[in-house]
Amino acid sequence: MFMRKIYKNKLGLAGFIVILAFAMLALAAPWVSTHDPLKADVMNWKAPPSMDHFFGTDEYGRDIFSRVIHGTRISMYISFLSVLIATFFGVSIGAISGFYGGWIDNIIMRFMDAVMSFPAILLAIGIMAVMGGSIYNVTIALGFVYIPRFARIIRGSALSLRQKEFVEASLALGSSDFTIIFRHILPNCMAPLIVQITLSLAYAILAETGLSFLGLGAPPPAPSWGNILSDARNLMLDAPWMTVFPGIAITMCVLGFNLLGDALRDILDPRLK
Amino acid sequence: MDNILDIQDLHTFFYTPEGTAKAVNGVSLSLKPGEILGLVGESGCGKSVTNLSVLRLISDPPGKIVSGKISLDGQDLLQLPKRDMRKIRGDRISMIFQEPMISLNPAYTIGNQLMEALLTHRKISRAEAVNRVVEMLQMVEIPSAEKRLKDYPHHLSGGMRQRVMIAEAMLLRPQVLLADEPTTALDVTIQAQVLELMYKLTEEFDTAIILVTHNLGIVAESAQRVAVMYTGRVIEEAPVKDLFESPRHPYTNGLLRSVPVPDQNRPAGREPLYEIEGIVPNLFDLPSGCSFHPRCSRIKDICRHEQPPEVEVGTNHMARCWLYA
Amino acid sequence: MLNYSIRRLLYFIPTLFIVAFMVFFLVRLIPGDPIQVMLGDGANPETIAAVREKMGLDRPLPIQFGIWLGSVVKGDFGTSIQTNRPVLQSIRERFPVTITLTTLALLFSLLLSIPTGMLAAVYRNTGKDYFFMLLTILGVSAPVFWLGLLSLLVFSVKLGWFPSIGFVPIWEDFWTGLTYLILPAVTLALHMAAVVARMTRSSMLEVLRLEYITHARAKGLGEGKVLIKHALKNAFGPTLTTIGIQYGQLLGGAVITESVFSLPGLGRYVMVSIHARDYPAVQGCILFMALIYVVINLVVDLMYTYFDPRIEYN
Repeated sequence: MFMRKIYKNKLGLAGFIVILAFAMLALAAPWVSTHDPLKADVMNWKAPPSMDHFFGTDEYGRDIFSRVIHGTRISMYISFLSVLIATFFGVSIGAISGFYGGWIDNIIMRFMDAVMSFPAILLAIGIMAVMGGSIYNVTIALGFVYIPRFARIIRGSALSLRQKEFVEASLALGSSDFTIIFRHILPNCMAPLIVQITLSLAYAILAETGLSFLGLGAPPPAPSWGNILSDARNLMLDAPWMTVFPGIAITMCVLGFNLLGDALRDILDPRLK
Repeated sequence: MDNILDIQDLHTFFYTPEGTAKAVNGVSLSLKPGEILGLVGESGCGKSVTNLSVLRLISDPPGKIVSGKISLDGQDLLQLPKRDMRKIRGDRISMIFQEPMISLNPAYTIGNQLMEALLTHRKISRAEAVNRVVEMLQMVEIPSAEKRLKDYPHHLSGGMRQRVMIAEAMLLRPQVLLADEPTTALDVTIQAQVLELMYKLTEEFDTAIILVTHNLGIVAESAQRVAVMYTGRVIEEAPVKDLFESPRHPYTNGLLRSVPVPDQNRPAGREPLYEIEGIVPNLFDLPSGCSFHPRCSRIKDICRHEQPPEVEVGTNHMARCWLYA
Repeated sequence: MLNYSIRRLLYFIPTLFIVAFMVFFLVRLIPGDPIQVMLGDGANPETIAAVREKMGLDRPLPIQFGIWLGSVVKGDFGTSIQTNRPVLQSIRERFPVTITLTTLALLFSLLLSIPTGMLAAVYRNTGKDYFFMLLTILGVSAPVFWLGLLSLLVFSVKLGWFPSIGFVPIWEDFWTGLTYLILPAVTLALHMAAVVARMTRSSMLEVLRLEYITHARAKGLGEGKVLIKHALKNAFGPTLTTIGIQYGQLLGGAVITESVFSLPGLGRYVMVSIHARDYPAVQGCILFMALIYVVINLVVDLMYTYFDPRIEYN
């Protein structure tokens, strides 16, 4: 049991370090990258990995390493911001729904169910299709798609907490609904909320790179991970390194969030184990 | 008569990150054919683990039968290959569980679950199996037995389910029945009926029972002999009459005194019920010497340092206590 | 049982209604004049007015929704701007590809995940368990399209084991068709396999410590029978729900996989329509795929009673 905890925490720690590393890369992208991610260099096109170009170059001679580093920025930005949006709206909607109950709850949750009855990525594709590709739109689309997950968590505990004595006592003492939601309901669902946030960050990165791969994300020539892989598709024979490296970056980053999420779940919410 | 079941110096330990729990720590018990042995003690004293050890159903890890001998009709079960052990389970030794609500699989019908053991151990046709199951259900007095076969466990009441469990346990006419608190979860009015049925069947098939319970009343009524367990050891064993009339171990004494007895000479509600002081010690951290010494009212100096030996305190009456050594 | 099914079916109707409403509303989100956007800048005002009237866009929104819903119920999913053919007809042509792909992927993922999850539970907290769980967490972390590209690179381009791009319908030439589908289906299956394996492991762990499992062993049943008959059937309920939810991932993933492997399925049709700004086609496809997903989850709910007969009471 104890060994397992240590083992688990070690993995969680590894995940945390990976995420920290990616976050720092994202912040320091302009200084870490060796080349301008957008600058073409036709003399050096489709160059294999070397000391000058760690991950090689693409068909315009752009440095893949620098593009991957800058891609970190885009992915991190979109995933953090979209999960922030989803958390904010999800928590508010869920708290209102669970706290007031009745027909408000009924209508809200029916709507949430309907959002959940779309495959998430398909709904995001649909939204992107009508709104057009841009970093801003991807963030909104993903933020919207993930709202119900958060709403459900908060609603569940708000419903059960509303019946508890301390909430009733607090109501009797004249606390406003708002205070009760913030003082009593939110702190009580922190554990599942934190786990859900971490795992959603992982999903958001996968979804963002997927959309961008389909041409529905940040428009080219932005160096998003999905865009690089999309370009790599036609150069599989000539420049396989274009396929390999960005994918490793995505997998590592998502893995980091998943490892951390799993460890957090084990630590914060043992009954889910 | 020879013993049908003989447990000698059984040690079953659980290896957990918090340490080693010596759940069964040198238990010896024996059982003659048709005999009922009451095994009593507070929860966590190793009664159930002893039973599970007999069937070798201790989950490993974390549990392990470390040493000892368990002989069924002269054959050492602990030395048997797994295959042969499986042939004994449910056939020659069967088990009844405490909670009829959770010991039947919710996903299968009663009929399916009852036939399973029969079809596993006997080469008989399904039709014949159905007949025997129905016959058995009638013996445990389940109304319209044939129809019940298609019912799921959740369709039956607790008492009915426990009858089903008894029917299943007795279906193959086992030599030994391990009954782990078979009536604890039932209503008091139903308890007696269910026990009655169990005894009726075991008598008919000459099945010996280890009756695990913390209910001394049940033991007094039905068992021939009683073994009292404390922290993984049998601390007193005697014919039922002797034990109830002259308990020797201070723990047994306390246990008996903590049972409410209607007494005409005593004014109602005056004298509080006796309670053994202190709590059952943590299995990871047993006291030195006699593990009962911190709670004992008749403690001697030696009790703190040394394990008491088994002492013959009467005919077939054993106690593990320094008072008699 | 019957009662439960009827209740599930009744619950199903409002969900369908809201799903339809959302799909309808989605297209109204197009910034600016949708007709203008659809037809491009060069379109003349008469054409725009004609299309607008044909699509009923000049009427109030609720009436538009009513008319649209009415025609959807009758099986009219609109007309493609690009090809001027009924959208449903195009869907019908491409759907078999997608359903074969996702079914095959479902099959592969179950074959991979259920035994893995069971073994991990049986060998819990041992090296084997940790190894399997590490594999599954890698499986949920790697993006589908990258796995697709990698497998194309390795198995088609380098090793030449499978044809790289193209499609032969499996119902015309089974074996050749299969060679075109194996890589995409396996790629698509991996993510779901990882999720289902994790779910199977945890619900098996939950079940294995219950008393009826000890009871099954005490009867003298073999370990295989204990695990498969007694444990797996009970553990499968929660797993089944996960499978239903994950089928959505398969449908969404199919859009990506079909793009990577150039399979002429629904997903690819969606993408082509998006790039052509063929909104009625996009709308029809998304509605259709959402309907499939809702129906699959309804079927899963109904199947649940088989694995947990107690459900009828709740």
